[in-house]
Amino acid sequence: MATASALPAPGGAGRRKPIFRRRVAMPGLGLTLGVTLLWLGLLVLLPIAAVIVRSLGLGPAHFAEVALSARALAAYRLSFGAALAAAAINGVFGLLIAWVLVRYDFPGKRLAGALVDLPFALPTAVAGIALTAIYANTGIVGGPLGKIGITLAYNPAGVVLALIFIGLPFVVRTVEPVLADLGQDIEEAAATLGASRLIVFRRVLLPEILPALLTGFALAFARGVGEYGSVIFIAGNMPFRSEIAPLLIVTQLEQFDYEGATAIAAVMLVVSFAMLAVINLIQARERTWRNGG
Amino acid sequence: MKSATTEARGIRALLIGLALVWLALIILLPLLAVFAQAFDKGFATFWAAIVEPDALAAIRLTLLTAIIVVPLNCVFGMCAAWAISKHDFRGRDLLTTLIDLPFSVSPVVAGLMFVLLFGANGWFGPWLIAHGVRIMFAVPAIVIATAFVTFPYVARELIPLMSAQGKAEEEAALTLGAGFFQTFWHVTLPNIRWGLLYGVLLTNARAMGEFGAVSVVSGHIRGLTDTMPLHVEVLYNEYNFVGAFAVASLLAALALVTLAAKALLEWRHRDSIAASGH
Amino acid sequence: MTITIDHLVKTFGTASALNGVSLEIPDKSFVALLGPSGSGKTTLLRIIAGLETADSGYVLFGGEDVTDRPVQRRNIGFVFQHYALFRHMTVAQNIAFGLTVMKRRERPSKDAIAARVDELLALVQLPGLGGRFPSQLSGGQRQRVALARALAREPAILLLDEPFGALDTKVRRELRGALREIHDRVGLTSIFVTHDREEAFALADTVAILSNGRIEQFAAPREIEQAPASEFVRDFVI
Ligand SMILES: Nc1ncnc2c1ncn2[C@@H]1O[C@H](COP(=O)(O)OP(=O)(O)OP(=O)(O)O)[C@@H](O)[C@H]1O
Ligand SMILES: [Mg+2]
Repeated sequence: MATASALPAPGGAGRRKPIFRRRVAMPGLGLTLGVTLLWLGLLVLLPIAAVIVRSLGLGPAHFAEVALSARALAAYRLSFGAALAAAAINGVFGLLIAWVLVRYDFPGKRLAGALVDLPFALPTAVAGIALTAIYANTGIVGGPLGKIGITLAYNPAGVVLALIFIGLPFVVRTVEPVLADLGQDIEEAAATLGASRLIVFRRVLLPEILPALLTGFALAFARGVGEYGSVIFIAGNMPFRSEIAPLLIVTQLEQFDYEGATAIAAVMLVVSFAMLAVINLIQARERTWRNGG
Repeated sequence: MKSATTEARGIRALLIGLALVWLALIILLPLLAVFAQAFDKGFATFWAAIVEPDALAAIRLTLLTAIIVVPLNCVFGMCAAWAISKHDFRGRDLLTTLIDLPFSVSPVVAGLMFVLLFGANGWFGPWLIAHGVRIMFAVPAIVIATAFVTFPYVARELIPLMSAQGKAEEEAALTLGAGFFQTFWHVTLPNIRWGLLYGVLLTNARAMGEFGAVSVVSGHIRGLTDTMPLHVEVLYNEYNFVGAFAVASLLAALALVTLAAKALLEWRHRDSIAASGH
Repeated sequence: MTITIDHLVKTFGTASALNGVSLEIPDKSFVALLGPSGSGKTTLLRIIAGLETADSGYVLFGGEDVTDRPVQRRNIGFVFQHYALFRHMTVAQNIAFGLTVMKRRERPSKDAIAARVDELLALVQLPGLGGRFPSQLSGGQRQRVALARALAREPAILLLDEPFGALDTKVRRELRGALREIHDRVGLTSIFVTHDREEAFALADTVAILSNGRIEQFAAPREIEQAPASEFVRDFVI
């Protein structure tokens, strides 16, 4: 039988040293990565760079003046405040809806589950005029509420309402799979130890779903901060009072105030990227925490 | 009977009731309102608002935009997913994050970006004007802005799906002599087709419904650069509510079809659609 | 076809998988790669196939340097541990795949492909199952299909990575016999990865024992038993 003994030295007779050694066997990397980077660069990175470079070009003093004008500050306050409030409300009701969809059986459950996704699919402008139709003081909910002195439309509460609509599926869809994965065994274990239902929820379940809930909250918040279409119809759009930051950008563009618009856009971009980083951080934390546990 | 791991009947009913009331108030009522308002003055008025020339022009422009943008982002999404899920290279995680960027940019800011590139004072504006190329406040800008906001959907859907499927079948195809396109077409594509369809549906829904970004770059020239959502806004601001809701009801119907198709896909092909949030 | 493996080195990041592996495998022989988990068997086989590229070293088929030749043009058949059958294709379509993706000029006619598929189904003793989908087959049947698929383009070299690893003992025995018979009948040069000592010794002409990315011994089973080349081989084999 042959053995591995009599081999010529590496690179010996008849073997040329390859100049180029193919690094991967799986084909298509050059083509697909090329297309990806080209499309990403032209469509996403170049435009983002334009905003950053143009706003840097304003110089710090001028930038601060236009990006932090009183009107802009009021707009940020509304956009961030309303997004925060809406995300918090969605945290509560999103968790409730996810819980009900995962844990209970009831007629119409399928339909309810499908409805949750509507804000993902319904164009924002349609959502905006529809919410206004319902919640303005001529609408079927807004009318009775108006009689008892609650006005939702055409003021900051309207902004929150629109953002609740937009953000709800983010919370439900992030919490739902985690709830479904959660075996009943830890609950049973806790129950056999004599814990009441409420304590089981607070001490056992809530910590398990908290990362997902936070992620959903952050996603809803991030989406809400930049939201435009669903808000402008119901907000009233009064400067200093019910004018969101994206609307201020549009207004300034219409007045050919490109510097003001760019500065505010840069602020919003930075905030979006910070939010993205936070969301990634929560998810990375959650992964290591899950793998560790 | 009361089990140790579920709530008392009364509490359960209360929670279900609360959830359903909330869903009805926040989602169902607005949806119904769209159709109720659209048909408020009868079918004839509804129909007249749809076949009116400006509305038809808006519908045409919206379809045109979707027909251009969806295939482009579909090809991009497949390329990105192939590179990221079948290969290992430095910066792969960073690339995955960058692909998600458009999701976190406000649509209005997205529109503004393209004004800064193609507008009269933009980076390329003067050159474009000198050469008689019209992008801003015309169809090209609408297409580009829509491509930006729908950029991640297909890739987002395919990356987890293709990563989960691994490389074994592709490697088998390679050992059998298949090249890249043959492997992709005969082996990968059949395995991801439902996930791809799902991503295409979402891309299409967003492409046809995008408002903020398109609103900034379109210039609102009635009958020329108004897409359906922009036309809805115009009619609404003219207090033509029936007209606005008539066009809106078409978009809402599109959303319902998208959701129904999504539910069907999830029900029939659960295994071949990755469980990725949205 | 002879296979020459010349000082192959492969590292993954900082972990080294192959530390200079050399082998000379004669034409028509049946070689088993035997070694503990993580010793580099799969890595070596994948480099021979062209599914992985070595950091340095050479692979030669019949004296010809194929180190930089892409997997598609190496004319090898590869059998994967977990079958890697195409889920959405029937058994017949799976087996025909290698022929249907050939260039139009070289591709056999539809009838010729169908005839070849039937012939291969008979060879692996699955006549009449061409219309089934992989999910409708047992593990042993799936591996037979994978074998038929790998043979469709008449490769000179057959590479198998723990082909019976996922099967129970009885099916393993059956398939083992079938594989050896097909190897002899078709006139292949086969390399076959296993970590089952008994399987390697029962089946192979020559056994290569790997440990930590090195060949400890490359010899006929009898020779290894009688004269283990190292402490490791003695412990591992006995
Ligand atoms: N893709 C990879 N990335 C990183 N390390 C790898 C990779 N493939 C293999 N390795 C490492 O290379 C070494 C050899 O692995 P290989 O799969 O060749 O072993 P093996 O002998 O086939 O083992 P087993 O019997 O478990 O299949 C191992 O230490 C393994 O961890
Ligand atoms: Mg192995």
